[in-house]
Amino acid sequence: MPAKSTYTDRLKDHLRLDSTIKNNVVREIRTHVEDKKHELVESGLSEKEAFATVTKLMGSPELVARQIYEVYSQGSWLQAIFAALPHLLVAAFFALHWWQNTFWLIGILVAVACTAIYGWSHGKPAWLFPWLGYCLMPVLAVGILLIYLPVNWAWLAACAYVPLALVIVFSVTRKISKKDWVFASLMLLPLPIMLGWVLALWILALEGNNGFLSHEQLYDFAPLMALSFAVLALTVAVFIRVRQRWLKVGVLLTLEISVLGIMALSGKSSINPFGWAGLILLAVILILGPAMLERRQRQTSRRPLNLSRKSAR
Amino acid sequence: MNYERELLKGSTDSLLLSLINREPTYGYKIIKELEKRSNGYFQFKEGTLYPALHRLEKAGLLQGKWQRLPSGQERRYYYITPKGQKALVERLAVWQNFSTAVALIMKPTTG
Repeated sequence: MPAKSTYTDRLKDHLRLDSTIKNNVVREIRTHVEDKKHELVESGLSEKEAFATVTKLMGSPELVARQIYEVYSQGSWLQAIFAALPHLLVAAFFALHWWQNTFWLIGILVAVACTAIYGWSHGKPAWLFPWLGYCLMPVLAVGILLIYLPVNWAWLAACAYVPLALVIVFSVTRKISKKDWVFASLMLLPLPIMLGWVLALWILALEGNNGFLSHEQLYDFAPLMALSFAVLALTVAVFIRVRQRWLKVGVLLTLEISVLGIMALSGKSSINPFGWAGLILLAVILILGPAMLERRQRQTSRRPLNLSRKSAR
Repeated sequence: MNYERELLKGSTDSLLLSLINREPTYGYKIIKELEKRSNGYFQFKEGTLYPALHRLEKAGLLQGKWQRLPSGQERRYYYITPKGQKALVERLAVWQNFSTAVALIMKPTTG
């Protein structure tokens, strides 16, 4: 039954929703397709003609999938606030100088880990992914620690660290992209900002104080760092609240690039324009890259299906 | 912009609530009923009915339940909720006032 499977398969392909809702919608529309086909066959059409007519009468599966996505894609205000919370905590960490107090640092780490575990084991809702992004921060933290190794050792360690870090980030991104690639983009959102600040502070530390930052230098940077994470929190809240997919991606791109732009134009860092351009490019790759990853995964998963259909013929 | 399509778009929710208020029903039957009761005037792209039904369900105006037919097949029936009935009453009142006002202005001039 090629036409029927094509219609519902195409619908399923474009329907990026929680699997329970997705299966329910596909099952419901499949019954409609079957009822209509039955009616058309009874009226004298052949099976093939009936399928072609049903497909035409149902309308574009892409349009139906998009409209159904827009019904379910809007999170509540509570979900928006909860999704923005990890970025707000990091903003508060810098605004209120919590780095001076180990209690706050441990508190934030425990909150991030517990929330990520809870969300992961409870159906991976949209609010989970910003929290999950901070679970990747230990990978970045290890990279920062490499800076303090003796030069020869640092290069050696970097050779092992970079591929390993890429494998970890890539495999987590691939897993999240299976659910929906926009969630992977949401998860990776703070990485370029974090990297930007790490580079800015590192250059500052190299310029004086024997590679270490003074409290005054950190105090000087803190308000802008807090602002950048507050804008990320706003980005996430808007992402959760808007319905349209293109708008969600647009919000991520626009606000992330704006934050990097503000960081570059503030004149606080010695990163050169090429460095900032590289960070903006990285941000675009991290936001749009998961889309290509998902596309590749879908093509790979479809291949065995097509082969089995061909062999069945 | 297609005027007729815009009018239908604005009235779809009220039409669905009104139809489901008469008796609980499922997607395919709703399309048939809309066509029959409007003497063929309302002809939806059938797939686009489902986003409207799911939107009303998410808003709490309808409730969908899978039910087995005597033939053994399963269909997702939609029931109107008390909130849906209240919304329908309000929409009917608005619609009646609106259509009366439009008719008063747009009626053909005589004599």
